Amino acid sequence: MAALATSWLLAGASAARAQVTAEPASAVVFPDPNKFARGLYTEGEIGAVAFFGRAGDTVSPGFAVGARVGYDVFRWLALQAHFLGSTHQLSDGAGALSGQLLQTYQAALEGKLTLRFGQASIFGEGGIGVARLSTNALYVLMVEPQYRVGFTAGGGAGADYHSLSRHFSVGVRGDYLVMTNLSSSQELMATTYLRYTF
Amino acid sequence: MTGRRAAGCALVRALPWLAPLALGCSGMNTPVYFPSPTMPALAVDGVATMDGPPRIENGLTLQFRNPTMQEQKTLDTQTAALGFEVPWIQRDHVHIEMTYQVTNTDTKAGMWNIGVDGANEYTKYDENIVAMTLGMGNNDPPQYIPLIPVTPQVLGPGQTVSGTVREDDFDEAELDLDAIGRWMAPFNAVLINNSQVNPVGLSMVPANAVIPALIEIDVSFSADAAMKCDYDIRVRDDNNQLLHDTVNTLFSPAPMLFVPPAMM
Repeated sequence: MAALATSWLLAGASAARAQVTAEPASAVVFPDPNKFARGLYTEGEIGAVAFFGRAGDTVSPGFAVGARVGYDVFRWLALQAHFLGSTHQLSDGAGALSGQLLQTYQAALEGKLTLRFGQASIFGEGGIGVARLSTNALYVLMVEPQYRVGFTAGGGAGADYHSLSRHFSVGVRGDYLVMTNLSSSQELMATTYLRYTF
Repeated sequence: MTGRRAAGCALVRALPWLAPLALGCSGMNTPVYFPSPTMPALAVDGVATMDGPPRIENGLTLQFRNPTMQEQKTLDTQTAALGFEVPWIQRDHVHIEMTYQVTNTDTKAGMWNIGVDGANEYTKYDENIVAMTLGMGNNDPPQYIPLIPVTPQVLGPGQTVSGTVREDDFDEAELDLDAIGRWMAPFNAVLINNSQVNPVGLSMVPANAVIPALIEIDVSFSADAAMKCDYDIRVRDDNNQLLHDTVNTLFSPAPMLFVPPAMM
């Protein structure tokens, strides 16, 4: 009888619950940007290049493929080398040469400043480089005072989104450059890229 | 590391090599353009004469370098092996194309016509000489037979049309000119017929003949309304034979003017 009374009392008891007595010392941020890889990185990009000014009257916008190799000196500062090739068709403004194809090959050294907000970041970049045209078509059209090779200078900005992997991120960017080998001409590069940080 | 991730890493690591590769390939077989001698190159007023619609001509000579000693030695060896002279500027290594644009500046429609003549390092062809031959003994308007005829077209007032005389058109013309210049082919037969359709007149040309490329391009333009024609010459120079550097000397052959047999 005593055992039955004891079991009845125990069965009626409520479940025990833990009690939080203090907040954690630091909240867990996920993902942690400090764990993103930093240092040597490469980027592959595709997009478009359009010319403005005198070159824009004779050269149509074209498809571009490029790559960057860089190094994050700090989380907010990087130095990078940029290579880009684009292909274009001469427009009606080129007269008898309309329809001819023209490629540009560009290389530049750039500095890049980054401001990060968790997985996302925005950046600005600028640099100087060289550009080479595949043919002398613009020289014949008197758009190009020098022969096929010249300097470029300019900069741009973009936005980056880091994946949950510590190595990969994607982004978009636009750069505006002055081309010294083309009279009164500039170019706009707009690309999207995939970045891998080692 | 999973297979997909490894492949992704390999792809991203390979991308930086693509741009330098493209830079390296940029010098391969890229064309060089030459503008027509004066701009606008050719313009006619559309006022016909007894000789037909007004006609104007100009042209340009492509400048090539002389062969190096080693190249000359190779040419001499090939010449000795084949038993006939091997040209320095060859059709297989120099590819020519012409782009043109015709604009009707008149207030009426008109028909335009373009013809292309030229010279290789042995022979120069001038359709005016041929027209004089064909016109001997009659008072008919001259009949021009260019090396490369462009199909005449009617162009409305204010309209512009662009076109291309392709590399294969120049290939055919270069074969024809070599045939009539070095191999005694009947000029009218080879010029009127496409060798790939009807190789009449080419029986004297050896099958292993090395065909010279044009080094001079002469363009004639005629129209029965006021029109202008701009053109550019595009050259792909496989062996870097165009004269670029002043250290090289200019290749200066003296091609003989082709004179049809009736005038000789």
